[in-house]
Parts: sequence; structure tokens; C-alpha cells
Amino acid sequence: MSLRFRSSIAALALVLVLVGCDREQRQTRGKPLAETIPASASPDTVFPGDANLPKADPRAAAYEGNAAAISEGQRLYNWMNCSGCHFHGGGGMGVALMDDKWRYGGRIDQIVATIVEGRPNGMPSFRGRLTGQQVWQLAAYVRTLSGQERKDAVSARADEVSNTPPQTQTKREPLNPADSAEQ
Amino acid sequence: MRRGAAWLVLLLTGCNSYQNALGGDGAEGANFVQLFTVFMVVCTVMYLIVAAALVFALWRRRRTALVLDDRTHHQTSRVVRPALAAWTALIGTGLVVLTIASFFTDRTNAAQGSKPQIKITVTANQWWWDVQYRLPDVSRNVRTANEIHLPVGIPVKVTLKSNDVIHSFWIPNLAGKQDLIPGRQTDAQLLPRKVGLYRGQCAEFCGVQHAQMALDVMVESKEDFLRWYAGQLKPATAPANSLQLAGYRYFTTRECSTCHNIGGTPASGQVAPDLTHFASRRSIAAGTLPMARGNVYGWVADPQSQKPGNRMPTVGLSANDLHALVAYLETLK
Amino acid sequence: MRRSFLAIVVVLAALVVVAVLFWCYRESGSPKAGTQQFAGLSVDKVIPARSASPPDDGNWTMPGKDYASTRFSALNQVTPGNVRKLQVAFTFSTGTTEGFEAPPLVVNNTMYVVAPWPNNVFALDLTKPGAPVKWVYEPKPAAAAKGVACCGPVNRGAFYSNGRLFMNLLDGNTVAVDAESGNEIWRTKLADINRGETMTMAPLVAEGKVLVGNSGGEMGVRGWLTALDAGSGKTAWRAYSTGPDKDALIGSQYRAPYASDQGKELGVKSWGPEQWKIGGGTVWGWISYDPELKLIYYGTGNPGPWNAEQRPGDNKWTAGLFARDVSTGQARWFHQGAPHDLFDHDDINETVLVDYPGPNGQRIPALLRPSRNGYLYVQDRRNGRILSADPYGYINAYKGVDLKTGRIIPATEKEPKTGRVVRNICPGPPGMKDWNPSAFSPATGLLYIPRINICMDMGAKNANYIPGTPFVGADVKMYAGPGGNRGVFTAWDPVARRKVFEIKEDLPLWSPALATAGGLVFYGTMDGWFKAIDARSGKLLWQFKTGSGIIGQPISYRGPDARQYIAVPSGIGGWAGAIVSADVDPRDPTAALGFSNATKDLKKRTTKGGTVYVFALPQ
Repeated sequence: MSLRFRSSIAALALVLVLVGCDREQRQTRGKPLAETIPASASPDTVFPGDANLPKADPRAAAYEGNAAAISEGQRLYNWMNCSGCHFHGGGGMGVALMDDKWRYGGRIDQIVATIVEGRPNGMPSFRGRLTGQQVWQLAAYVRTLSGQERKDAVSARADEVSNTPPQTQTKREPLNPADSAEQ
Repeated sequence: MRRGAAWLVLLLTGCNSYQNALGGDGAEGANFVQLFTVFMVVCTVMYLIVAAALVFALWRRRRTALVLDDRTHHQTSRVVRPALAAWTALIGTGLVVLTIASFFTDRTNAAQGSKPQIKITVTANQWWWDVQYRLPDVSRNVRTANEIHLPVGIPVKVTLKSNDVIHSFWIPNLAGKQDLIPGRQTDAQLLPRKVGLYRGQCAEFCGVQHAQMALDVMVESKEDFLRWYAGQLKPATAPANSLQLAGYRYFTTRECSTCHNIGGTPASGQVAPDLTHFASRRSIAAGTLPMARGNVYGWVADPQSQKPGNRMPTVGLSANDLHALVAYLETLK
Repeated sequence: MRRSFLAIVVVLAALVVVAVLFWCYRESGSPKAGTQQFAGLSVDKVIPARSASPPDDGNWTMPGKDYASTRFSALNQVTPGNVRKLQVAFTFSTGTTEGFEAPPLVVNNTMYVVAPWPNNVFALDLTKPGAPVKWVYEPKPAAAAKGVACCGPVNRGAFYSNGRLFMNLLDGNTVAVDAESGNEIWRTKLADINRGETMTMAPLVAEGKVLVGNSGGEMGVRGWLTALDAGSGKTAWRAYSTGPDKDALIGSQYRAPYASDQGKELGVKSWGPEQWKIGGGTVWGWISYDPELKLIYYGTGNPGPWNAEQRPGDNKWTAGLFARDVSTGQARWFHQGAPHDLFDHDDINETVLVDYPGPNGQRIPALLRPSRNGYLYVQDRRNGRILSADPYGYINAYKGVDLKTGRIIPATEKEPKTGRVVRNICPGPPGMKDWNPSAFSPATGLLYIPRINICMDMGAKNANYIPGTPFVGADVKMYAGPGGNRGVFTAWDPVARRKVFEIKEDLPLWSPALATAGGLVFYGTMDGWFKAIDARSGKLLWQFKTGSGIIGQPISYRGPDARQYIAVPSGIGGWAGAIVSADVDPRDPTAALGFSNATKDLKKRTTKGGTVYVFALPQ
């Protein structure tokens, strides 16, 4: 075998290997069973003596910064009428989602808990109305409204007329350390 | 002879009768088939002439010397120039004929569609068709999904809209393609001439399930159409036994009613196909599965396995809920 | 010499006579000038309907002052001459900081302050200095109701009748409270927050019936007006705003003034199948009452969703004005201000009941209706016939009102379409004037209209219905209309059918108006200025900066010391003030249903509050 032939084979092999790499996992189905809400994601609470502090939910990694999940969440945000109360992050009937003020926590699993359980000042409960996967997708999208996610995962344009600067240019709002995913 | 016939049959298996662009079962489609024939004839004639000229040139080339002297050149040009002139004239005539034929086809189609007696609005979504019949008395409008019924011989105007990306409305037997563009309204005219079942298709790539975005079109007699329409106007059948009632309860209080609408019940979701008369349809999920009990079970239990990436999530129903839901859905005739 | 002297004297005398005559009649601007007497001796002026507008006893027992909704006080101690001396007599803080819309009521030397959520009521003893609290009524409505109240958890007021206060709670209850003790007498649950219904309007009590309506036109709610028995709180009748005739109480008494509102089962036939069930038409605004005709007049709200393409048909009986018999609720007539409404032009604005001069000198029982769609209708209140319909501001969304058919004519190029944005639609969704009512002065014959000058861009999209969540289908962005001023105070002459004067305000005007016999008109601005203007010229005579933006009804009453007091609630909120009261982020122009863009600067100009200010002349 000549050198040219061998290097062509090597190049072809390299290309075939690289083609198999995905930037992210896309799950169309979610887990076979409905996903449950995180048990430990209650809003910021006093934990006596630092005992039983909530741990980061392992599902966060699957949805945070996942472009497919964020894109589905963007669609669901309109379909489920989130935009009817929260608009494009500015708020109205509901609180603003694009700023750094989080009444019930800004971590992705806390947002999931808020959507599923509802909250005392008027956030409706969507338990039984949305599947677990849909709620996590929505939470992943809500996190992008305050600029929390990687800029290459967010959508560069809205589904309707643009009203706010594109999300790829949204400044990241600071989060309370208790809300950050690094805890 | 028999082997030739067998080969012919083999070739013709590509042409089924219910999704056939050369079917000509609607007036517009028939006009296009006529135009297609004109094009075929003209182009075939041109092709044969060109092929003949090529063959002739090759044959003649073998017989003459390789060197071109002045005498041969002069002799050849005496033939070539008039031949080229005649050829140019032929092409020009051919193009003019084709243009005129095309123009008249469009005019005929427009004229046939100028006085529609039925108006339908088709809104394309990823990856299903929302069909609404619009009457002057709006309380008698009918809304269905993925299926169109038409009476034979009556002109129809279809207003086309899209809720997300560009799709294309194509019922090959009846008419040509027309795009559905978000933010715009386009129109298509249909004048079905033959009773039958036809299959339509989305003809513009619109996402991961573009291939499973079909449309069932039923062309029927006027009486059958009116009977179907009257059935569609009725509100949904009420649940008759406890299993159906359990299914009704699940549907109207849980995930299903977040997106789907069943007329006459509290389920009024607007973003998914209208299911008021779900069981009366020919197929599920825009032609993905034929309507049958097993398919309904499979679809409701796990739509993502049948049509991965589509907008209906896998809920993860328990067996009891699944039985109840399917029992209820089957009553929605 | 003597003859010329005589001539000079005669000329001078003539000049003096002319000057005196000119001085006496200088304020008669229009050729149909009337006297300044309230008794309405002149037949060519508009006066309030007499049976609906009894003589003023110095109290303020209902938000509209009287059944005719004049919001006019006959007290005349404070005049243009002395108003510059007006000063604060006392203040009262409610302790809550949501939008403060309800007027304080004053009866029997007690002031009743009705606060927004949590809907506490405070009774203040006006006989003692500083008006101490006599009792507090704390109804404790559900906090979750705040999540389905589109435009702030506001309350538009209580109604005093026969020793009781009647009011609505945000979570859908109507209550009767004993005015002496503050004890709750009955509580009736009428609306369900899980379907998106709340209650914010002020009841009207007449002939032993408490009339209340629901809110939630943005939530896919089916609107209704319910009459409760004032003694027991039980439902006497309910008239729905959509659906079959037997639900909407359309029966043999019903005669519409125009053909397109007459017919059988229009509440079903003018909708796509089943759509009337989530069709809107909520009754969240004002009711007027004619005790002679025994008719109540009220408007219905917008149809749902805002995206009109999803609801073909005229969508009856939304966005129109009803006249009903008060005892049975049977409809007498209906006129639809916005058939197949395209722009959220509810028709719930106040109607002022007046006697209007007819062309042959007769007096027509009429009503003045400054509608949200921008037209000021004058209608015969016996049958609904439109006498005139004139734009009272800039309109490009409609081409006019066809007086033969009674129908408004929308401009087709301004029709919102799914997936597209239509720009520069005037008036925008809050209309030419939103809920904040105007005041009518019989002294001047003018209608004083605090309104807005706001246009919008609207992008319609497919709305999904999930009960308890919004059912809108539109992205809206609002901004100032032509001229750049977002608010206008218009004084309108209903006989001459034109504006007499107009005051441009930078911020939208979201406060109601008060007119007094002293010749003043009062209103407040969204950054907290409480203003008194001359009722004839519009000249600003006095203003006072309160602690928060004013969106509440000013009132005037006679105190125990026989002085005239003027009170106003101060506390920003409501739809226009949401950017402050709901802490909306101004970076999103579509927030608060589009108002965020129009009030981007409001956070710098006012903050939340909840205080009643009471003013009087120094002793």
C-alpha cells in the first residue's frame, strides 16, 4: 500500500469517527416513565444547622444548556400561556423572569418545582397537565430569559415578532449563590 | 410477450391510483396532466430530432476524411446554415407553443376556481393539518384534522395558512402544489371530478417528521358529503359506560386537554388536532398509522415511538388510564 | 354745546349698558347658552336624568355619586377663587400598596375606605380630629386570585345602601357588611379562580338587588351579570353575556335598536361551534340605573381571545351596551359597540344618564357613552337609538359609525392577522378611555373625560385555551399617539358635539374625574399630582403632589363641621401602572399586555402607595 493510499484511509477513518460525535443528546421521548419533580427543590428555606441541604438534581445536566430542550421550551412557553402572564420575560400578571429577582428560586430544579406545584400568590400548578419532560424543557427555556445559558444553545430569534434583543445577546443576570447550579 | 407484459407491470407499480400526480381526478389536476402531455410530446419530438441529428453526425463523421479542406467546409455550410435556421425556428415555435399552453392552463384553472361553493381553511402545523370548513353561518363551521371530505363536481377554495414554518399543500390527484407560508395567506382551488380516496402530502421540507405529514382526501357524492358534514356538526358523543367515563375524566382534566379540543366537553385546547370526531377518521397522526384499535393504543401510549420528534409527548400512562382513554376515544365517531 | 354734551352722555351710557350686558353674559360661549342654575330651567342644555340624580345631601354613598353616574358634587364652598388655599385636612394609609381605584364612601359622618387586595375596609370617624378608625373589616380573600387578575388586584369600590356596604372580593365573592359594626352579614361565592374568574367591579344596589359582574376577559371566562338579593345574598337572576337566549335573558321584552343586534339565539349563532363558552364579555365596569324606567345600563367586555381570527362571527353579546329590567334581568335593548372586536375594545365604560335636548325642543331621556372604541355615543336610553356618535380623539382603527345600521366600520388595513404585525393602530387596547370614569357637570353642561392617547403595534398568534391561564393570542406594544402626550383631559359639549377644551398630559390619565358646583373639576395624574382646574376654561388652578400615582376616584363630601372636603385615593397600579405595582421589567416592551413600552419612565416618576388624602379650605 502506498503512502497516499494509507493516508487517505486514515483521513477517511478520522472523518467517520468525528461524524459520530453529537454536540448534545436529544431525547424525543424522555424517560419511559413520567419524570417526577425534584423532592429537595423547595424554595429558599432555612435548613436548621445546615443539615439536609438540597443537592443538585442530576437531571439538570441533561436539560441545562441543551439546545433541543430550550427550543422545545420556547414553543411550550407560548403554547402553555406562560407568555400570557410573564410575556417575554417582563412580567405583568406574573413576575418578571428576565431579571435577577427570584421569589421562589432561580435554579432549574426550583423552577421545575414552581411550575409543577404552583405558588401561593397566583402561579398555577401544572401538575398532571404537563409531562415531566415538558416541565424540564420549559424550565430550561425560562433560565435563558435572564441570560443564564450558553449563548450557542439559546435560540437566536423568537417565534413571533422580535420584541426584545435576541437571546444570544442577553446579558447574564446574577443569581443568588443559593440558586446557582454549582451548589 | 408475457415477459414484456411482466416488465410493464413492474414499471407501473410505481403508479398507485390514490397518490398519482398523473391521475387527473380533479379539474386542476386534469389540466396539468394535459399540459404535461403537451410538454412531453413537444419535448419528445425535440429530443428525437436532436438524437437523430447526433446519430447522423456520428455516422457521417466515420465516412469522411479527418482533414477538412476548403471544399468540404463550403459544401457543409450550404447544408448546415439552413438546417440551423430551421432548427432555431423549430425551437422558437416549440417554446411559444409551450408558453401559450402553460398560460391557458393557468387561466383555465383560475376560471374554474373563481366561483367556489365551499370554502375551507387549512392551517399547517408541524406535522399535522388543521382543516376548517367556513360557512356564512359561522356556528355551523366544522373543524377537523388531517382529513378533507369533498363533494364531487363542486368547486372548492382552500385558504392556506401556517402556524410555524413553510409547508406545501399537495394532493397529487387533484391539483398542483401550493405553499403555506407563516404570516401570509395563499389559496388553492380544487374541483374534484371523480369519487374516490386520495392521499395528499406535505411537499416542502418542514422538519423531522415532514415525511409523515399526509392528508386523507375523500371525494364523495353530494349526499354522502352532507351526511358526513352533519355528523361532524354534532358535539362529541357522551361517555356511555364507566370505562369511557374514566377516559373522559382523564382526558378533560389531565395532559390531553392542555392541547386538544373535543367539542361539547371542557377540553378546549387549540394547539393540537381537534378530536371531536377522532374515531371517524381514516388514519391517525396525519397518515402515520391507519385507524384501528391497536394503532390507537400504540399512539396514545407512546407517540414518540411512532413519530419521533412530533409535538405530542409520551405521557407514561398507566395501563388502566390507557384502557379508559382508548375506550373513550373510540366513541368519538 | 349742550347738544354735543348730551350726545356724549348718551354714548357713554350706552357703552356702560353694553359693558354690563357683556359682563353678565361673557361666559355664555355657545349660542345655546343656558343659565348657571342647576335646576335646569333651560331646555336647550343637557341635565342629568332627574330621577337618577337626587339633590345632593353632602354624602357620597356610591362610586358614581348617583344612579346617573354624574360624579358631580353640588357643594360649592370651594371655588376657583379660593381653591389655591386648599390644604390637606388629614390622610389615611391603608397599609397596602396595590392599585388604589375605589372612592372612599362617606355616609353619616363616617368615611369608608375600600382598599385593593386584600380588600380590607376601614371605617373612619369623621367627627373626631384625624378621623380615627372605628372598625376594620378583613375579608381575607385567597391570595392565589392575584395570579388570574389581568390588570392588578384592584377593587373599584363598595356601595352603601340601607345601613350596609356591598362589595366584591378579588377571589369571586360578593359580601354585605354592616356599616355600623363592620361585621360580615353574608358572603356569596359567584366566581371561580380556577377558571380564571375574579371580581373587581363596584356593585350597584337598586330595588333590593345587588348587581355584580365578573372579570377575566383575558382568561377565556364566560361573562355574566348577577343580581343577588340584598337581604340574603341569594342569586335572584343571572344574565350571561354569551350563549343561548335563555342564559342571556333575551326574551319577549327585547327590542334591539338596530337589525344586526336583533334575532334568535345570536349569542350562539354569532360564534364558531362551542366558542361562546369561553367567549368573554365579562362585566367588570360600571352600571347606571334609571329608577323611572327601572332599567339598568351596563356594558360587556371584550370577546376572547384577542386574536379575532380564532372566533369568526359578530361574537354577541360581547363589547356592547345592555339595558335590562332591574327586577327580572330581562334585556330591553342591546347595542354592540364593536362587533367581532379586533382590538380589545371592551364596552364597559360608564354611561351618564341625562335628559338631552331634542331637535324639536323636547327632552329625550338619553345617555352619554364615551366608549373605549373612541366614539362618544349619545343614545336614547328608552330604546338604544343612536342620536350621535362622534370621535372624541384620534382614531385610525375605524372609519366611522354608520348611523343607519348602528355598526362601527373597522379599517381593514388595521385588522390584526396571525403571524403578522400590524402597526400604528389607534386607539390601542385601552381605547380612547379605559375604565376610569368621566364626570358630568350640569352647571356647565360639559362631560369631563380623563383619557389617553395611546396607539399600538399588534402581532396576533394562535392562542391556546387552558382554564385558569390567559387566552389572548397577541403580542402588543403600546406607545404615545400623535402629539407625543400619552394622556389627555377633554371637556366635551354633548350638544355641540365637540370638545370645548383639552389639557395634554405627559402620562396617561388613569384616574376618574370629579366635578363640583363650585366650578371646579378634579383629577389625578399617574405620577401623583392631584389637580383642580376651572370647569369652564380648563385652567389649572391648584395642584398637590401626593405620595403615589393617582388612579382612584376623587370625591367631595360635607364634613360634620359643614365644610366641603375633597378626598382622593393615592396608590399607583392598574393596567397602566403595572410597571410600578407589579415591578415589570421595562426591557420587555410587550410586558403588562403592552403597557410596559408606553410607561417605561414611570418607575422614575412614582412608587407604590396606598393613602387617602383629604383636603379642605383652612378654617
